[in-house]
Amino acid sequence: MSEPKPTDSDRVLIIPCSGIGKAFGSVGREAAYLVLEELRPNDTGTVCLSLLTMGDEESQQRVREQRTIAIDGCPKACARVNIEHAGAEPAAIFRVFDVFRAHKELRVQQVSDIGENGREMARILAEEVAVKVDELRGGKE
Amino acid sequence: MPDLPEKRVGLIACSGEDLPVGTVSRMAVLQVLERLRPQDTVTLCLPLFLAGEERERAFARFYPTIAIDGCSKRCAARATEHYSARPAASLVIDDFIAEKGLPEPHGLRQLDAAGQAVTQAVAQELAHEVDRLLGKKRPTVVEVEAQAPDAEGEPEGMVVATCSCGSGIPVAQLQVNGRRVEILALPAILDQFREMGKPVNDATAGELMDAVKLYNHLPNEEEAGLREAVLSEYTRYIAAFDPASATS
Repeated sequence: MSEPKPTDSDRVLIIPCSGIGKAFGSVGREAAYLVLEELRPNDTGTVCLSLLTMGDEESQQRVREQRTIAIDGCPKACARVNIEHAGAEPAAIFRVFDVFRAHKELRVQQVSDIGENGREMARILAEEVAVKVDELRGGKE
Repeated sequence: MPDLPEKRVGLIACSGEDLPVGTVSRMAVLQVLERLRPQDTVTLCLPLFLAGEERERAFARFYPTIAIDGCSKRCAARATEHYSARPAASLVIDDFIAEKGLPEPHGLRQLDAAGQAVTQAVAQELAHEVDRLLGKKRPTVVEVEAQAPDAEGEPEGMVVATCSCGSGIPVAQLQVNGRRVEILALPAILDQFREMGKPVNDATAGELMDAVKLYNHLPNEEEAGLREAVLSEYTRYIAAFDPASATS
């Protein structure tokens, strides 16, 4: 018998920053979408970060009730800060810069097209996030 | 010489990660920032209004802004108004699609053909709005040529989107008539005047006020007090570099 699919409330929320003017923001978002659409589509979900910023009740409730993973592209850590501001504590925090630090050969220059290096960096980050999702899902009672 | 921040149009996209129209908002803004109006536009991540500092929140008080929202929740317009200042213009992509009879976009990570068509149309609309806000007229033919990838006059090298986070608008707080007043761009103005070797005197006070007024709305009744406070600030600023010149 196959395992039952998780309900929406069981899903881990992957929340990337909305980084629009920096390449690492684009990499973080690409990584989030890789997890959401390819690596763990049945175990994850997301909310618009801008809705959290505006205090949208439904979004705030979701981040308080579900496990969240923040992915930030710059030191301002908008994803983490906005999750915390909604009254939740991220279950994990990932920073694109940490991936870059470990893979300095992967230089990304353009925001709208992160290129091969950016996609590779996003893939590495996405796989780390997916492992964390499994860990969190495995720990779910 | 340090540059004063230029007057550009700030583009604030909702960037909604959970909706195709959010992706459209982000991609359209990037197209304007990188290709259509790179010299005239700047952006800021919307969640930075909350996560950032005063200089980020001063964004819309310095730049006339266009809020670009995917859906009727209008996060970009509301956030800009709530945390900074009322946007000069706003566009809701769902409404734009309905109004222009455009196809519905699909895809979050990668937009489908409909999404890309909507992105193009939104980007063009934004570029025209930027021109309107800056009072710039662009002949259609020239505009089309300038946007062609191989056209003469295309900026050399890679054009990158201009992001304002972390390098936002410098703000100073002054005491004016016993009240704390926030002055946008004052640190950069003082820096520029010092670089130009402007002496501390009444004529410079007038020039400082002219520069300050470019970036700040000042009630008439506060102008005299502010002039005095700005000149005092400039005196302190100069003294920090060269005590002799400040007292000469």
